[in-house]
Amino acid sequence: MEPLTGMGVLALMGAAATIAGASEDLESDVGSQSNPNSQVQLAPQMMYPHRIYNKAISGEPPSNALMCAIGGTVATVLLGMNASVILALTIGSLVAAMIHGTFSVSSHLGRIASQNRFKQPLYLDIVKSHTPVIIAYSFITTICILVISYLMVVVLGHPFPLPLLAFIWGITIGAVGSSTGDVHYGAEREFQNVEFGSGLNASNSGNIVRKGESGVRNGYDNSWFCAKFGGPVTGIAFGMVVFLSGWITTVFDASKSAAMGWESVLAGVIIVIILAIWNRKIEVAARNAYGTYKEDQDAEVAA
Amino acid sequence: MIDIVGALMDNIISVLLITLGGVLISWSVHFVPVGGAPAAMAQATGIGTGTVQLAAGAGLTGLITAATMMGVTDSILLVLASGAIGAMIMISVTMLVGQWSYVYGVGCVPSSAKVKYDPITKDRQDLYVSQGTEGHGLPTVSYVSGIIGGGLGGIGGAMVYYYLMIIENSLPATELVGIASIFAVGIFFVNAVIPSYNIGGTIEGFHDPKFKKFPKAVISSLAATFFCAIMGVIAIGGL
Repeated sequence: MEPLTGMGVLALMGAAATIAGASEDLESDVGSQSNPNSQVQLAPQMMYPHRIYNKAISGEPPSNALMCAIGGTVATVLLGMNASVILALTIGSLVAAMIHGTFSVSSHLGRIASQNRFKQPLYLDIVKSHTPVIIAYSFITTICILVISYLMVVVLGHPFPLPLLAFIWGITIGAVGSSTGDVHYGAEREFQNVEFGSGLNASNSGNIVRKGESGVRNGYDNSWFCAKFGGPVTGIAFGMVVFLSGWITTVFDASKSAAMGWESVLAGVIIVIILAIWNRKIEVAARNAYGTYKEDQDAEVAA
Repeated sequence: MIDIVGALMDNIISVLLITLGGVLISWSVHFVPVGGAPAAMAQATGIGTGTVQLAAGAGLTGLITAATMMGVTDSILLVLASGAIGAMIMISVTMLVGQWSYVYGVGCVPSSAKVKYDPITKDRQDLYVSQGTEGHGLPTVSYVSGIIGGGLGGIGGAMVYYYLMIIENSLPATELVGIASIFAVGIFFVNAVIPSYNIGGTIEGFHDPKFKKFPKAVISSLAATFFCAIMGVIAIGGL
């Protein structure tokens, strides 16, 4: 394949991955899933009833992997029936999103019902208003993952079948989403009642903020807030993963010679070193900008 | 009727090296700094997700790059190196962007609660741990440990896939890739789950006292993967 064509396809995959990352994170914010949901789950037990959608189908990687694998399987079946690519990917994503919506509703109803003893009400308007948004976000995520997987199989000639690639990228996007954007939701948005940067004492667990910018806070408000930082950074992260992992093998094409293969490995090592240095720079900048949380008692004793 | 003993003896190297790959995956998971739910609330050092999930996310990304490489070359070293690089890129990017969230989104300083000084940078850690938490973010030692973990996991996953692919069989190439890749993913998950019993939700990296428990997980993985490898060889070799 022409290097320029390969780079064009990679750019398209990177763009799709960025959108998928952002929508994956916002889907987990509007419906509250993954690790931060432990606080939403805990709140009623600490006598803080709330109006936040509480769905934790599973960890984000398995739930996204299921969604993407369903979409990939349906799309493969339709492609086998000579359906057009756009139709196959769209119908596959739609089926996956609807199934995800079913899981979301049953998960939410089950969790709220189990909290009846803590006087947590089940708000049907929350179910009716939030579920379509969850389905819409999961549709965007799934179709973007399917586009990435389809391009990898058909254009870049990846040997894995489409549903398996979609499954693996589903695991990866869930892992990236729950590692990056969720921190913004769990450590900042849920606990805006403590001073920014003060750290979150474990004794505050369950005491999540329940008042919104207007009225009582719900999943929409969380999605709105996280769309300013958590969602976009998740998109950047997943976009970087897809783009960089493909870039090294596309630019340094190992099919031409083994030396090119080793050059791709070297390029990967250089990228990892640059990222590690970047991380160190952020760490030093944060230490200098924010300072310490407590006095240095060792220094006082020595004095 | 499948000649089980014959298939096993013909592919004994595959059985042994698939087992080695599984052991590498199991060991690698101990390097990955994960803090689970507490880290998602910036109450523990490491990445705010589960052990299995992050290790699998990184290792399977490595599997994708390794399979890409295996499609164009027969060099096992190149396939293993590509697997390692793919996983290292995934985990490096995830840790870096996670760090953005902790520093810019939450406003806390990366710090470890398990050591007083970072073993690599010699930076003081305890003063930067906020009250009532077990550290937050990714200090340099955890970041480096994560990269090592990603690399080892990628090598392990790629090794499992490579030696599943060279099992003697009479399958068409596309079907062999399908079944070998699904076995590789399955073996990866088995070996990502076993160490989580050692880790118990949170581990900061190779400087964490929990890291010393890895021999138990490695031995368990040796036994579990050996049986997985036998199953894989019989299933693929018998087709």
